[in-house]
Amino acid sequence: MSDFLTIQNATRRFGGLVAVDDVTTRVDHGQLVGLIGPNGAGKTTLFNLISGFTPLSSGDVHFKGTRLNGMKPNRIARLGIGRTFQNLRVFPNMTVFDNVSVGAFGTHPQSALDALRSGSKRAETISERVWQALERTELAYVATDLAANLSYGKRKYLEIARALAMQPDFLILDEPAAGLNDSETLELANFIRSLHADGLTIMLVEHDMGLVMSVCERIVVLASGKKIADADPDTVRADPAVLEAYLGTDE
Amino acid sequence: MSDLANPPTAAPPSTLRNLVLPILIAIVIFAVVPAVLTSFGRGYFWQIANIALIFVLLAASLHVVTGVAGLLHLGHAAFYGVGAYTAGLLASEQGMPFLVTIPAAAIVTAAIAFLVALPTMRLVSIYFAVATLAIGQMIYLVLLNWVSFTHGPNGVLIFSGLEVFGIDLSSPIATYFLVAVIVSASIVLIHRISHSYYGNALRSLREDDQCADAMGVRTARLKMEAFVISAAFAGIAGALWAHTTGYISPSDFDFAESILILAMVVVGGLGSLPGAVIGALLLILLPEVLRDVGDVRNIMVGIVMFLSILLLPKGLFGEVSALSMIRRQFGDAWRRDENGKGIGWR
Amino acid sequence: MIDPYYLQQLVIGLSLGMTYALMAIGFTLIFGVLNVVNFAHGEVYTIGAFASLVLITAVAPPFVAVVVFALAIGALAGFSLERIAFKPFRRFTDEASLKSRAMREATLLSSLAVSIIAREAIELLFGSQQQAVPFEYLINQPIHLGPVIIVTGDLIIFGISALMLIGLQFLLTRTHVGLSIRAVSNNPLGARYVGINVDRTIIMTFVIGGMMGAAAGILVGLYYGVIFPAMGFIPGVKAFVAMVMGGLSSIPGAVICAIILGLSESVAVTFISSGWADMVAYGFLIVTLIFFPQGLFGARRERV
Repeated sequence: MSDFLTIQNATRRFGGLVAVDDVTTRVDHGQLVGLIGPNGAGKTTLFNLISGFTPLSSGDVHFKGTRLNGMKPNRIARLGIGRTFQNLRVFPNMTVFDNVSVGAFGTHPQSALDALRSGSKRAETISERVWQALERTELAYVATDLAANLSYGKRKYLEIARALAMQPDFLILDEPAAGLNDSETLELANFIRSLHADGLTIMLVEHDMGLVMSVCERIVVLASGKKIADADPDTVRADPAVLEAYLGTDE
Repeated sequence: MSDLANPPTAAPPSTLRNLVLPILIAIVIFAVVPAVLTSFGRGYFWQIANIALIFVLLAASLHVVTGVAGLLHLGHAAFYGVGAYTAGLLASEQGMPFLVTIPAAAIVTAAIAFLVALPTMRLVSIYFAVATLAIGQMIYLVLLNWVSFTHGPNGVLIFSGLEVFGIDLSSPIATYFLVAVIVSASIVLIHRISHSYYGNALRSLREDDQCADAMGVRTARLKMEAFVISAAFAGIAGALWAHTTGYISPSDFDFAESILILAMVVVGGLGSLPGAVIGALLLILLPEVLRDVGDVRNIMVGIVMFLSILLLPKGLFGEVSALSMIRRQFGDAWRRDENGKGIGWR
Repeated sequence: MIDPYYLQQLVIGLSLGMTYALMAIGFTLIFGVLNVVNFAHGEVYTIGAFASLVLITAVAPPFVAVVVFALAIGALAGFSLERIAFKPFRRFTDEASLKSRAMREATLLSSLAVSIIAREAIELLFGSQQQAVPFEYLINQPIHLGPVIIVTGDLIIFGISALMLIGLQFLLTRTHVGLSIRAVSNNPLGARYVGINVDRTIIMTFVIGGMMGAAAGILVGLYYGVIFPAMGFIPGVKAFVAMVMGGLSSIPGAVICAIILGLSESVAVTFISSGWADMVAYGFLIVTLIFFPQGLFGARRERV
């Protein structure tokens, strides 16, 4: 319980640029953590270090006691880390149902031989997981629509549904509020709270402070790759270093 | 949550409706076509029917890797050739019966595909296409130049008649039925593979493999499996070719043949199994219809392919409409329910 | 003392490599500008050879005129190819769709289709068998250099190829057209913003690639005296291999790898039968793809 996700001295260099600079932090089971910072602070890079899309230059990432360094993203995903993408990466030529089924397949795969059988138990489980995720995100009524035909807001939920179908222990949402208007953001905030209430550990990577401040119980602030604050929302709001990062060096 | 524990089962009337189109197709393959061909009474037409069926299987097998998994494969004919040579050499030099050579062709082809896939599978998009082109050409060079084993450009003559459990099947109509049974069974298997959650995972590789990776899908392994499965069916098609024509030579399996199979899949609609079947029938039968005009088969392939890319980017039968058609008509494994729930593969 | 036979093979390999280089440049230029592989490039080579052969049999012009004619035909072929197989799929002009995957796949398949049509059309017109090249045009008069015997073709191919490479270098670095091509390769959208006509630049790329390919076609045709409809396929694949080995977008890389390829092949045929010689190129390709995914001289470019 105590060691859910730990990040120790995580560093990532791209040539001369240090995108993530010696960041040490942790996420405990059941938390809803926000990761914020101005543009270019290294949020998405840190996120990619956790999910395995970018290899670490140095440092360690552990999840539930397993060292994630150098693991392929699909292995990390199967350990129980689900993610969404900042720039909406649904599978456009597949239906909503089929999109979500890939998430369920990822952590609960069906072999080619199993696909040949009719009435396989595996397929049954995948169907159930997909329906649960679709109902949870209120997408069940568009299950047979093509993902490409969904509205922008619905596609955001589709990405979350796909990650939920993996039945992850830890869900990382990358800028889920980007491109949403105020009422949609509010709705999303409520949805994230309800996921958290169900017992899911969530990390919210956001550029915009509003959503994070309203839903997260703890906030980690990055600026120029370094961690400059790690506390509850009120403390972070009052932190002069955070204010400077957002106001002083805003581009 | 509670109604998910008891997912609605498929309504019985729909299962009956599901059978209409498959039964119609079966009637065409096993009754109408043989009846028409018998009335023509020319061996040549039987041969055309066999070739059409073999290419239907080839196109369907390429559909798995190129249509569903989205890997552009430019060397498919080489695996077809491996299957043909495996069956041909086993039959002509070891005297193996048909029932042995067909599975042997599938296994040997799958094994070779597995070996060449090991180093090449992590390549992406155009690099993968180029690697398959090179592998296809390498296999072709082996068939052409390893004279002591493959007889080189002279090819292999297969004398042993078609025989299953001591029943002679070498008459044109018996051969046709044999090919039709094997091809139909293979198509059913390919259909099950590509229309399942497994097939959905393969589609996700085509759509965005990085994203599928983040979902936990073992992308490299799935690509490899798709490649090997596709090769195994190409091997079966090769064995059928060897047994029905009685003669194989390397030129039957060169680059132009790979492109012909690719054109079938493209013309029919990438990602659509019915499309691949229609594409194969079109590109085999159309040149036969135009035979009087001259030897225009290959140029027809190019023209049809170009026009279909230009005018019908989704092919004759695009994936989306094909998928819903398959779920409506062939979906004994696809359950649906009027209130929008209970959709899914079984 | 090295056996003169090997020196001879080296010279042959060098001229062979030069023709691959001419082809590879076309591939590389087009890949740089559009990020697509032009599968019909081999047919430009064939068309160059056949058109020149028609000219030779019709009017028997001097050798220089044949080469100039091949260049003109190559330019025309490159232009038509772009208009037929590539332009129709370039419906949108923002960068995302210019280099998008759907565009790449569509043009890859369309160029493949056009290459089939071109090859089969030539076959319908001339038949699939080899065409006889008039004896006086063959460039295979032996020249004795000490113990080494080479033929005029080696010198001619080397000379013309070197001239064309120098010309290309001048074009790319010193002229407005070359500057546009390099700009579009780097950043098509940026090039458009600074007022470069991207469409015309793409055409120029195909024209230049076509000229080089057609020149290679007729030179090889006259060197070996064999001209047939499918002659473009193998050199096309080889040039393609050279391009991949060179790192996809590097012209010097492609040229060096093409020469390496030519040399290795001509050395290889002294050890293995010529039927297996093509294996060398495919082997190189697979090894490059596996061990040097950026190519031997690869610019750091994302593997797309």
